[in-house]
Formats: sequence, C-alpha cells, structure tokens
Amino acid sequence: MSRRGERVWGEDAAVLAAAGLDVAALGRLEQAVMADARPPAGVAVHDAHVHLGRDADGHQLAAGDLVADLDRHGVARAVCFPANEPGSDGQFSLANYEVARAGREHPDRIVPFCRVDPRTPGAEAAMERAAGEGARGLKLHPVAQRFRPEDPAVIVLVRRAAERGWPVLIHAGFGARPLARPLATLADAAPDATLILAHAGRGDARALRAALDGRPGIYYDTSLATVTDLVQTDPGRLLFGSDRPYGEHASAMHLVACAGWAAGWAPAQVAAVLGGNLCALLGDDA
Amino acid sequence: MTYAPSDEVRLLAALAQCEMALVRRDPVAAALLAQAARHAEGLPAGELVATASALVRAAGVHGDEPAERAARKVAQALCRTALQTSEAALVGAASETSG
Repeated sequence: MSRRGERVWGEDAAVLAAAGLDVAALGRLEQAVMADARPPAGVAVHDAHVHLGRDADGHQLAAGDLVADLDRHGVARAVCFPANEPGSDGQFSLANYEVARAGREHPDRIVPFCRVDPRTPGAEAAMERAAGEGARGLKLHPVAQRFRPEDPAVIVLVRRAAERGWPVLIHAGFGARPLARPLATLADAAPDATLILAHAGRGDARALRAALDGRPGIYYDTSLATVTDLVQTDPGRLLFGSDRPYGEHASAMHLVACAGWAAGWAPAQVAAVLGGNLCALLGDDA
Repeated sequence: MTYAPSDEVRLLAALAQCEMALVRRDPVAAALLAQAARHAEGLPAGELVATASALVRAAGVHGDEPAERAARKVAQALCRTALQTSEAALVGAASETSG
C-alpha cells in the first residue's frame, strides 16, 4: 500500500497504485537504477534545474514535494525557478514571489532564480522586484515566451543579470531554430555574463560547442540531455540538472553516471559535474 | 542470450523514436515500445523497456486522468533511462575501439 506523497520515478505512488500498476516493482527498478548511478562517496549533489509551481501544460511541483524528492535521492539542494505560469502581468511576478518564498522556507535546499519575459514590458522591474525577494539568478525560456536569444531586449536583461553577479539559465535545445549563432551573439554582447545552457543544448550541442568553446562563463546543464552530448563536453562546464517535474532524479543521475563511465571521467570530475561546478558558480561551498 | 553492438544500435534507434512519440503523445508510441521491448530482450536495458511497454499498454498515451498522466511520465522516465544505458554502451565501446 502506497502512502499519498510517496513518489516512484517522480510520480505519486498512490496515483499509480490506484491505476492498478505494480508500484513495488517500479520502485525496485528505480532503486536498481539509483544503485548504478550512486555518486562517489562524500560527493554532494546539487541540482541546477528545477521548476516550482504549475505549468499551463499540467506539470506541477510544490516546494515541499521537491524537498521530499531531494531527500529521497540524496540531493543537497536545487536551483528553482517558476514553471511556465507568467500570470496576469506576463512577468511571472506571483510565481517568482512563490519561488523566492520557497527559498526562504528552505534556505539550505532551494536556491531561487526568477523568470521573466524579455519581450513583455516590465521585465527589468520584475527582475528588480525578484532580487528584493531573494532571487539569485535569472531563467529565460525563448521557446515558451517566444523570443530570440539575441534580441536586444534579452541582451539588456542578461547584462543586468551579469551586473548583479547572477547566472542566467537559458532553455537551449529541442527546438527547430538553430541556436549556436544566436547564443554566440548573446555571449558576445554580454561578455561578463554566466550563461547556463539547459539540456546541454540538445539538438544543437555540436554546433554550440563549436561556436562557444573556450569562452569563459558558458556552462551546460545535464537535464534531459544525451549521453553523447555530455561525453563531448568539458566536464568542467557541466552542471547536473533534473528538470523536475518534467524530468525526474533517477534518470537524471543515471545520465551523469552513464556519461562519466563512457567518457572515463575521474571521480573528481564526476563530483564537479554533480555539484562542485554549480557551487563554485554560485559562490558557495560544495 | 548474447548480443552484439549492432543489437544496441537497433535498440537505440527504436528508443529514440519511442522517447519522442511518448512526449508527443503519439498513438504510435505503444507499437514502437512493443517493438523496442523485443529488440531489448537479453540486453542490459531489457527490463526497463519491457516495463515501459507494459505501462503504455495499460495506460495508453492520450488520457488526461491523473493515473494516465502519471503512468505516461513513468514510461518516459524508463524509456530515457533505457536510452542512456544503450547509448553509453555504444559510446563506451566506440571509445575503446578508437582509443
């Protein structure tokens, strides 16, 4: 019998059980995958990519449920930003407030980033407000908010983030439009910015490496990425990410374990990918 | 059962199709996963793919009830994990060959 709130593969075990599915078997399979993906002893895992709130597409995650996920998978903390819920002002104000509040309620577990829409009036004010509420970085989603990464309005926001010392996590991948040149244009226009390209740029990874390799301040998160893309990336530039609630932690950690094995990463490199790189970027201890 | 790298290639190609079909909620996902489960028999990802296939058979790909959504998400996670297993085996083997 599953208690409500227990999760298997990121989903509510009670809901799965009510559908007649063998939750115990699913749980054993998840545990077996996690055993294969176990980090080296003493390595702290930090998640660079989590959404809180409720997306228009139905995906949702509350702060308390996230913390339970983190506990279950041995993840120390997570960078969190809103799901795609821009709200009535189009600037995610309420969602940013909720994420910042979650950060205050779980200061050791949740690092709040804010999300804004560069093409909607009030983006800079929304960032300013979020900073006052405790945000420590910026999330941008060119596909969901329908803007181009090299748009002048985006460049302004990224420069503002850099002035604050904020990293900027940008959705990068899974799209039809090529990303390498637009992101190189953005990086050129904001050379002091720290850019985290989500999903390791899946779909454009090879072109992104060619366009951006050697530039300081370019990182890639591993969420929903491919093994090959991670193997071909400098592990010093990779940040572990789960993309909860779209992804989940077991497969996210398994991905890094697979990439590390296939690439022959040393334990110290695995540790850097799983948490050390993100902590250094945030200016915190791992 | 023994298997060759070409068996992993076949499975990897099938799983890549399954992953996107599941995300897009394409009705072909059930048939693709059933085929992938047969490709995966005897391979390291075999149990993951067989379980994903069974989940999709039971829950379908279209439903919006919480149980259907949850089952579909678990199937996606299993499919992703299987894909990673297969891809790592091939990339690792290629590295050994070229190295």
